[in-house]
Amino acid sequence: MVDPVTASVIQGALENIAVEIGYKLMRMSYSSIIRESEDFGAALVDAEGRGLAESAQSTPLQSGPIPGYVKHMLATLAARGDAVRPGDVIMHNDPYGGASHGPDVAFIVPVFHGEELVGFSATTAHHLDIGALTPGSCGIVDAIDAYAEGLQFKAIKVWDRGVRNEAVWHILRDNIRASDLVVGDMEAQVAASRIGAERMAALVAQYGLPTFRAACSALMDHAERLMRQAIAALPDGTWRAETMIDGYLDSPDPAKRDLPLVATVTKKGDGITVDLTGTAPQVKDRPINMPFTGTVDVAVWLTVRSVLLDTAVHGHIPVNEGLTRPITIIAPKGCLANPEFPAPTIARFCPGNQLADTVMKALAQAVPEQVSAGIGNLKVIAFSGLKGNTHWVHMEIFEGSYGGRPGADGMDAVDTLYANTRNNPIEDIETHLPLRVERYELREDVAGAGRWRGGLGSVRAFRFLTDGGASVEGEGHQHRPWGFLGGGAGQTARLLLQRADGGEEALPSKVPHRGVKAGDLFLCEGPAGGGYGDPLLRDTEAVRADVLDGLVSPATAKRDYGVVIGVDGAVDAAATAALRGAR
Amino acid sequence: MILVGVDVGGTFTDLVLAETGTGRTVIHKVSTTPADPSQGVVDGILGLCGIAGVAPGAVGHVLHGTTIATNAALEHRGAECGMITTRGYRDVLHIGRHQRPEHYSIQQRIPWQATPLVKRRHRHVVTERLIPPTGAVLVPLAEEEVREAALALKAAGIASIAIGFLFSYLNPAHERRARDIVKEVHPEAFVSLSSDIAPQFREFERFTTTAMNAFIGPPVRDYVARLEGRMKESGLTADLHIMGSNGGVATAKMVGERPVITMLSGPAAGVLGGVWAGALSGRDNLITFDIGGTSADIGIVTGGRFAEATARDTWIAGFPLLTPMIDIHTIGAGGGSIAHVDAGGAFRVGPRSAGAVPGPAAYGRGGTLPTVTDANVVLGRLDPGNFLGGAMSLDVAAARAVIARFAETVKLSVEQAALGILTIINANMANAIRSRTVQKGIDPRGHSLVAFGGAGPLHAVEVAQALGIAEVLVPPAPGITSAMGLLTTDLRYDAVRTCFQVSGALDLARIEAAFADMEREIAAQFAADGVAPADMGFARAGDLRYVGQGYELRVAFGASADAALAAFHAQHRAEYGHAFPDSAVEIVNLRVTGTGARPKLGTPPPQEGGSLAAALVRSGPVVFREGTAETPFYRRDLLPVGEAIPGPCIVLQTDSTTVVPPGCTLLAEAAGNLIIKV
Repeated sequence: MVDPVTASVIQGALENIAVEIGYKLMRMSYSSIIRESEDFGAALVDAEGRGLAESAQSTPLQSGPIPGYVKHMLATLAARGDAVRPGDVIMHNDPYGGASHGPDVAFIVPVFHGEELVGFSATTAHHLDIGALTPGSCGIVDAIDAYAEGLQFKAIKVWDRGVRNEAVWHILRDNIRASDLVVGDMEAQVAASRIGAERMAALVAQYGLPTFRAACSALMDHAERLMRQAIAALPDGTWRAETMIDGYLDSPDPAKRDLPLVATVTKKGDGITVDLTGTAPQVKDRPINMPFTGTVDVAVWLTVRSVLLDTAVHGHIPVNEGLTRPITIIAPKGCLANPEFPAPTIARFCPGNQLADTVMKALAQAVPEQVSAGIGNLKVIAFSGLKGNTHWVHMEIFEGSYGGRPGADGMDAVDTLYANTRNNPIEDIETHLPLRVERYELREDVAGAGRWRGGLGSVRAFRFLTDGGASVEGEGHQHRPWGFLGGGAGQTARLLLQRADGGEEALPSKVPHRGVKAGDLFLCEGPAGGGYGDPLLRDTEAVRADVLDGLVSPATAKRDYGVVIGVDGAVDAAATAALRGAR
Repeated sequence: MILVGVDVGGTFTDLVLAETGTGRTVIHKVSTTPADPSQGVVDGILGLCGIAGVAPGAVGHVLHGTTIATNAALEHRGAECGMITTRGYRDVLHIGRHQRPEHYSIQQRIPWQATPLVKRRHRHVVTERLIPPTGAVLVPLAEEEVREAALALKAAGIASIAIGFLFSYLNPAHERRARDIVKEVHPEAFVSLSSDIAPQFREFERFTTTAMNAFIGPPVRDYVARLEGRMKESGLTADLHIMGSNGGVATAKMVGERPVITMLSGPAAGVLGGVWAGALSGRDNLITFDIGGTSADIGIVTGGRFAEATARDTWIAGFPLLTPMIDIHTIGAGGGSIAHVDAGGAFRVGPRSAGAVPGPAAYGRGGTLPTVTDANVVLGRLDPGNFLGGAMSLDVAAARAVIARFAETVKLSVEQAALGILTIINANMANAIRSRTVQKGIDPRGHSLVAFGGAGPLHAVEVAQALGIAEVLVPPAPGITSAMGLLTTDLRYDAVRTCFQVSGALDLARIEAAFADMEREIAAQFAADGVAPADMGFARAGDLRYVGQGYELRVAFGASADAALAAFHAQHRAEYGHAFPDSAVEIVNLRVTGTGARPKLGTPPPQEGGSLAAALVRSGPVVFREGTAETPFYRRDLLPVGEAIPGPCIVLQTDSTTVVPPGCTLLAEAAGNLIIKV
């Protein structure tokens, strides 16, 4: 037992350490995907790999999986007859062993109290390149199996009992493009994880192991209670939802496109089961399969938590293993959400976010006041080229948008659900890369209509100033974000390649690496979220404000909202009443 | 020379008058007049002059810390603004970094989308484009479009206009030309240029800073004008300077043009007050610790210099700002912080506060929730008969009742619950200090904790113990330290240029030219402010990073570029625990800070002191973590000087209460501070 005061103090200290790890990793790292996009994770876990605290700054899809990385790393070592020892630093990225996908490499440092293993300090980060078939680590959409995705590390000790394993570092340098950046980032991960381990060891020493362990149990039990109470407040019931992913829209094989994701949420007492049965079978030779541990579980946890324990409503909620205990996830072996090795998984980012949206769509039936309408999904483009004989690689995440919400329009042009990265400043990109960003604005007049309209997507254009290459990994070109409670569907995303030679191509949401000429322009129109509630109930002044802001055209105001804007820019009340009354 | 410092807080306006010749200081406190704080400021100054026996016309300088800008931002009460920006980028202000402030929230509101500084309808785009690395013109400015935009904004009744073009930090010509055109067609407009306000790369942050300047500009300008008017009417002929976030003061005119520099005006003065107090005892490694009713402000001072926030860590009201600021960390922990059990059954304290109204239960104004102040009362640490010098009595029974009720919910005794509240709030404060010290490679154990604000000296020793800090320093007038800090400043202006250069291929001539240019610019400003050349000082610095990194570290740019590079490696190791000495380093920004020396608060005359017997007010039981002890309560002004006084004891004075737990030693210095050896 631990007294409530000490429990509270130890929890604060653990969170403080996790924040420090994340802060240092972000500031030390080289690749823009980590330092600007913040696509990294930092967390502390106990000796069994149970999550204790995570960095508030890291992205959910990175910190969330860390406990899974550690548990599988321990199992892998045990199966080999090996164990963790003081002075070890362990690298792990096995998507069939807890990793979110191959490019998200974890560096794990054990924490000892005397001889006894008490926990781990770990970081993950999305690396620019991991030695896959084409440059970059996004847009590897034509990898046919796990081996085509790049290097696989299954519990590899890069430091063994305090001695650096130089051979591994040589292999990394020789098999990864842009290796100066990537290896620099890995070194930063090791340094940051070690700092966390030192701090955690000091904390254990300060309070003693029994008190520390009791406090850890107490903090996990506390989070579990919060989640169980939130679940218990729902009515018992079962709610099913289905959405579709594009898959490979240009594939002749129907098993590779327009694939359903299904979530059936059953709430009983203070527990929830999320059953993904009905989701399409895995695609055995294309990497849109989602690792069950590391992607699927995180997508489900994040959604349940964001809906039931929304930070804006409930304040700061500690993130640890306790939050996940009341949630059971079922996915049949061999489906997209639980693939079998060696099915490739590297491009699971957008399907996983669509899965999160599907779970929200199911929960919407239980708690309509706590969700948004359908979200617009994301897209990543890996831009690359050669400067001399060295690669440059730049990965840019193209934002989506949220659906309308009870009392507010959807968030415009943001990362959605389990992703929360940052864009790169135009002034940074153009200073350091042969690219020019020619446009970055909201996409006008396409949001899902609703009493609370969907968020707007962005329009973003990148021009190559020298010859290079690009690959695309995205979703949402075919299926519109869902409207809710009478709201209209949102709008799909589009991607155009306007070539320097005058040609123009509409690209699908997934494009394997292709050559690009100087002067070619990628024009991305982001998706718009679904509407929430009947658009005829939208405040006429809100419609007018959107017209004034150029976000909704007068024609759309009339067609979707039944609002007539006069030539003076004011709402024509009589005409509006007549129009709305007639519908 | 007579100086007056006025610091306006939420509840009180604190004032101090100092005669630089004699070292005499007189302090005063009046209620803040929220509708128009300039009323309280001028009334307070006149009252202070009366107490000091000084004619208003004899005051030479008034130095002012204000929350006008901060409040306008926090309450979103600024001007209706317009913006003129580069065609193709109308929504940089709205999209931001495409990141949501909260990871785990569907219902959150994003400040720059839900409450924009400039509505989209007033964001006009014009044809023009500059490109790196030098700011060369790719597309010339379409002047006619600027004119049309200005006319449209004028027609819409917009009187404050931000102009922000991509890459303008490399070449301000287009922004300046656009400003001239705007001024031609709309002469009364308040115009803010991004190349003036924050000439640094990162367009969202630069444009936001500029838009914030536009947003708060008119209210701040109007406030300064009202204050100057009132001063004149009252016969106060003193010149007026206003505290900036950067730890220096600026002229009223400068603040009228760049109000965004005053965002942290109030807390910045606190840090300076702490530095001044530290200097009285010869200490220059300090952690300043200012606790009021709702929040605690923490600042770090090393070698007498306060830490500056990195540009990427400065946020106000949810908006990022690229303006030089003292690194002040504010957390929701103060005397009014409320203890509660959260939905999961965990014991928490704060960040919610009972505020001034109803306040803690002990204030007897109807507060019914257990607060930190109530815990201090229950434990006997606050003397009910001597709170605020006896101006307010504390309701012990009410405090005990709310703590007792809370104790039942956490299944602890009343004393344990009260101790628990203090343990948790003190741990929160210690964590906040760790995040600004240990996490940045600074060892807090080498620093003194300077405790002020009404509640700082109540908590400081236990916080110091949690951090391994050896001594706590309590300034002469803890409740008025910020106002004192105002009297210790220089004029301080900052200039910055983004200037990407990589080690091994540095263009030293270009660097020198940039520094010289910035120094000329600041010197011209100082000359206009009437500063003599001999009183001007300049310090050069650079923001550096390893090539490829995204975060810069600021290092002094002294004798040579090589020295700056060496300093960067050393600082990287200190802050992050790791350096990459073989890697190339990129210079990102060059900075100059100019200081114009001003008359300052001197050293107060030495304290004469009394005796322990004279100082003893009463003694009574006080609960400490070590147990309950019969504890003497002393009057601060009668303590013997230079004599080690064993803890436990409690020191009373009008504006604060100092707790010295068992095992600690108290010393009242002739210089005016209390020093507690932990």
